[in-house]
Amino acid sequence: MDGLAIFQTPGMFGNIIEMMLKIIFIFTMNMGFFAPVLTYVERKQSAFMQDRIGANRADVFGFTFFGLLHIVTDAVKLIVKEDFIPRGADKVLHTVAPLIAVIPALIAFSVIPFGGKYNLWGHEANLVIADLDIGILFIFAVASIGTYGAIIAGWASNNNWSLLGGIRVGAQMLSYEVAMGLTIVGIFMVYGSLKMTDIGAAQEDFFHWGIFLQPLGFFLFFTCALAENKRVPFDVPEAESELVAGYFTEYSGLKFAMFWMAEFLEIVTISAVLTALFFGGWHIPFVSHAMLSGFLSGIVGPDFAELITMFVHVGVFWLKVAILIFLQMVIRWTLPRFRYDQVMMLGWKIILPLSLANIAVTGLILLLVG
Amino acid sequence: MSVENDARMDLHAKEMILNMGPSHPATHGTVRFLLKLDGEKIVHMETEIGYLHRGFEKHCENGTWTQAFPYTDRLNYNSAMQNNVAYALAVEKLMGVSDKLPERAQYIRVMVCELARLADHYTNLGAAALELGALTAFIYLVESRELVWDLIESVCGARLTSNYIRIGGLSADLPEGFKEHVKEVFDKTKVLCDEFDRLLTHNRIFVDRMRDVAPISKEDAIAFGFTGPCLRAAGVEYDVRKANPYLVYDKLDFDVPVGTTGDNFDIYLVRLEEINQSIRIVEQVLEKMPEGPINIDDPAVRQPSKEDVSSKMESMIFHFKNQIEGIKVPKGEAYFATEGSNGEVGFYVVSDGSGKPFKCRVRPPCIPLTQAMGFRVQGAFLADIIPTFDMINLIGGECDR
Amino acid sequence: MMAGNYKKVNRDLTMSFWDRLYIPEIIRGLWITSAHFFPNLFSTMFAYVTGDPTKRKIMTIYYPEELPNIPDAYRGRPVLVQGKDGREKCVACGLCEVACPPKCISIVGELREDGTRHPKSYILDGSRCIFCGLCEEACPVEAIVMSHEYQNLSEYHRGLMIYDKEELLVPEEKLERRLKFIRGRAFGKCNY
Repeated sequence: MDGLAIFQTPGMFGNIIEMMLKIIFIFTMNMGFFAPVLTYVERKQSAFMQDRIGANRADVFGFTFFGLLHIVTDAVKLIVKEDFIPRGADKVLHTVAPLIAVIPALIAFSVIPFGGKYNLWGHEANLVIADLDIGILFIFAVASIGTYGAIIAGWASNNNWSLLGGIRVGAQMLSYEVAMGLTIVGIFMVYGSLKMTDIGAAQEDFFHWGIFLQPLGFFLFFTCALAENKRVPFDVPEAESELVAGYFTEYSGLKFAMFWMAEFLEIVTISAVLTALFFGGWHIPFVSHAMLSGFLSGIVGPDFAELITMFVHVGVFWLKVAILIFLQMVIRWTLPRFRYDQVMMLGWKIILPLSLANIAVTGLILLLVG
Repeated sequence: MSVENDARMDLHAKEMILNMGPSHPATHGTVRFLLKLDGEKIVHMETEIGYLHRGFEKHCENGTWTQAFPYTDRLNYNSAMQNNVAYALAVEKLMGVSDKLPERAQYIRVMVCELARLADHYTNLGAAALELGALTAFIYLVESRELVWDLIESVCGARLTSNYIRIGGLSADLPEGFKEHVKEVFDKTKVLCDEFDRLLTHNRIFVDRMRDVAPISKEDAIAFGFTGPCLRAAGVEYDVRKANPYLVYDKLDFDVPVGTTGDNFDIYLVRLEEINQSIRIVEQVLEKMPEGPINIDDPAVRQPSKEDVSSKMESMIFHFKNQIEGIKVPKGEAYFATEGSNGEVGFYVVSDGSGKPFKCRVRPPCIPLTQAMGFRVQGAFLADIIPTFDMINLIGGECDR
Repeated sequence: MMAGNYKKVNRDLTMSFWDRLYIPEIIRGLWITSAHFFPNLFSTMFAYVTGDPTKRKIMTIYYPEELPNIPDAYRGRPVLVQGKDGREKCVACGLCEVACPPKCISIVGELREDGTRHPKSYILDGSRCIFCGLCEEACPVEAIVMSHEYQNLSEYHRGLMIYDKEELLVPEEKLERRLKFIRGRAFGKCNY
């Protein structure tokens, strides 16, 4: 038990250790686990949906591990490809654009709580990297910066096709950011706070989950989030058959990988935000924190019960995230894509009024119910 | 000057010239579009074809009448059998032996034509779904196409380059158990096509992309020379199988779907319904097909069996003469039109009395359709070219020969 | 115009109220693809665990570990038939040379000591062959047939694709299936 005494040292040291562990955990989960595995899941899931096998040939001494080694081979392939800048393109902007796209996708995860508050040997662990008061507005702000990456990439490539992609990206993402902000207002009104940890904690009761209190808000936010991420059905900027590859036509190698990573990381971020806001975060339905902790402390003692509860909650959170990722993948492979003007029409003429109506109706109900 | 004009003059707006070149994911069949865009609206579009020209007519002139069959396969390579049948019918018309064709050969020719039509429509609708982003729907139809190709492979030996029809009949008979195989295949393809239908036809995203995009009126369609599903989608009731029936189409019971406005959605619905009708025709053919010979009873035309060639003198002589000099077709010219999956596939053959064709020209059904592209997408968005071009079903091999 | 059997397609009724809301149709679409995904996934896992490939519901096969079923009529690589006495059946008549559309066969014939003809050299350019089967149709003695081989046909050098007589000879026993086809179903049906 002596090793665990670090948690009992004066507050600051324990806090630093906790912070580093959380950062390492999130970084590993996102960059190290989810993003590569998503490349594999995309190939295999689409294959099974389409009655075919998928990628299964990369092997080590004859063992294929169901194609999991393709993650490694894809990464190696992208890293060793020739990195070129087209003639006439702006060198600095061309190189900087992928960075601007990928860094916000990584940062955005820092305000999402993947567990509650746990009392581990006297130290209060709060499983979120930065428990900001403004909560989700930080995610929106950071995601807006990501827009710049795509627009700059479209402009800097000296290519008419990329320019078209860049223009489409700019218009689409701006429109949907406006709508996205408004769709969330309903959630803030219902839970009464902008802090993500508060919203997460308030969903301990199964029937207080966001999906039951704000069903329309869920659909609207999900649509807006898909549009922000430039996934089908909103992948007009990178429409493969129309614009060859849209704003990243002239990218190859690691820069292309960064755009791609940004997209996958945003899938995870969106799923995590949706889980935290609408699907109860880390809570198991009908089993509250106290119930689980009490049940387990009968077996292993109160401190370890908290630890195990923490792991269970974190596992439940990531399970919900995985289900939502699966849902996004299914949507990507099933639906056709919009036309550019239909995307604009959807964002401004349908989603924006509906979200305003959502706010009005929510306010009315809150007033009546009290 | 109004406020609007002042604002416009300040904006430095120039039309963008974009080259949707021969190698572009959407221009399957290597066609080049030169676009003048104002923002995303198309101001002017020029079409350029010919990137797949391989000299079909010249090749045909160098070989005998029978040696042209592999070349006709490669014209409309999605529905290869239809080109074979059209060419054979044209030559038989020129020879004057069209009415001597045995019943069984005629029924089998109709059946393989309809199987080829199925394969072509599956490919086209699947590619349309693919270009619009519905990737799974594409794979379902490609799976159906694979099953139909398995059927064709069991009949003639290759999935695409069939080389199955011969002048005077066929080269081989159907395999045993073909009827059961067809039933098995149709059970699966009906399910897959039904799923495709349920995925897309009522899906508002898809319908908004296709409906009211690039319509064409009846008069314009006839003026351009449209035939086939695009003409029928514009509302003109013309199908070569009903207007000038050939083979045994007048004995079969099938409907022909007709649209109203000629836009992409109508063409899509027409093609989807034609799939059902083709399946209906094939099932009828399998019921009604008699037993019997598969070639004309004329040794100057048909291929003798291997047994005859090695034992009978006359068969060997005719065999050698037909192989070395070619089947003798009397002098003259003939044109025969059949209903291909894209439109009217016609062959115009000219013979100088010898065993080699003097001229063999094919009427490609997709050239008038490609011609009308610039007219149809005027004023539409860049993204509208994609479904319009897809539903034309331009096959490079046929358009450029 | 011919009357009857021209039927109008239904385009306006395809957009009902429920379709105009995007969501119900989208959910139905997702249900269809998920209904493909889960049976495929579980049947493939089940087939892997039990080692029985026929239980798989997916359409693709694990080539080259599993080979597809080739029908009788399949036109693979053209080969020369080697009779029971070890000699080729070919009599160098030249019909296949004339019948070949891309003219990929070259034959030089000669007389053997016992009076029979045979090809001194028989060259088939595999890079020009279009696998059409007209040579098999033309041959009067069933000496060249389209075998059922489709694997290992590509080479790294063009010169290796020009096959001579030794590379083309295949014993008759291996080609039974194809010979049965051309005697029975193909050209044999022309018997009047």
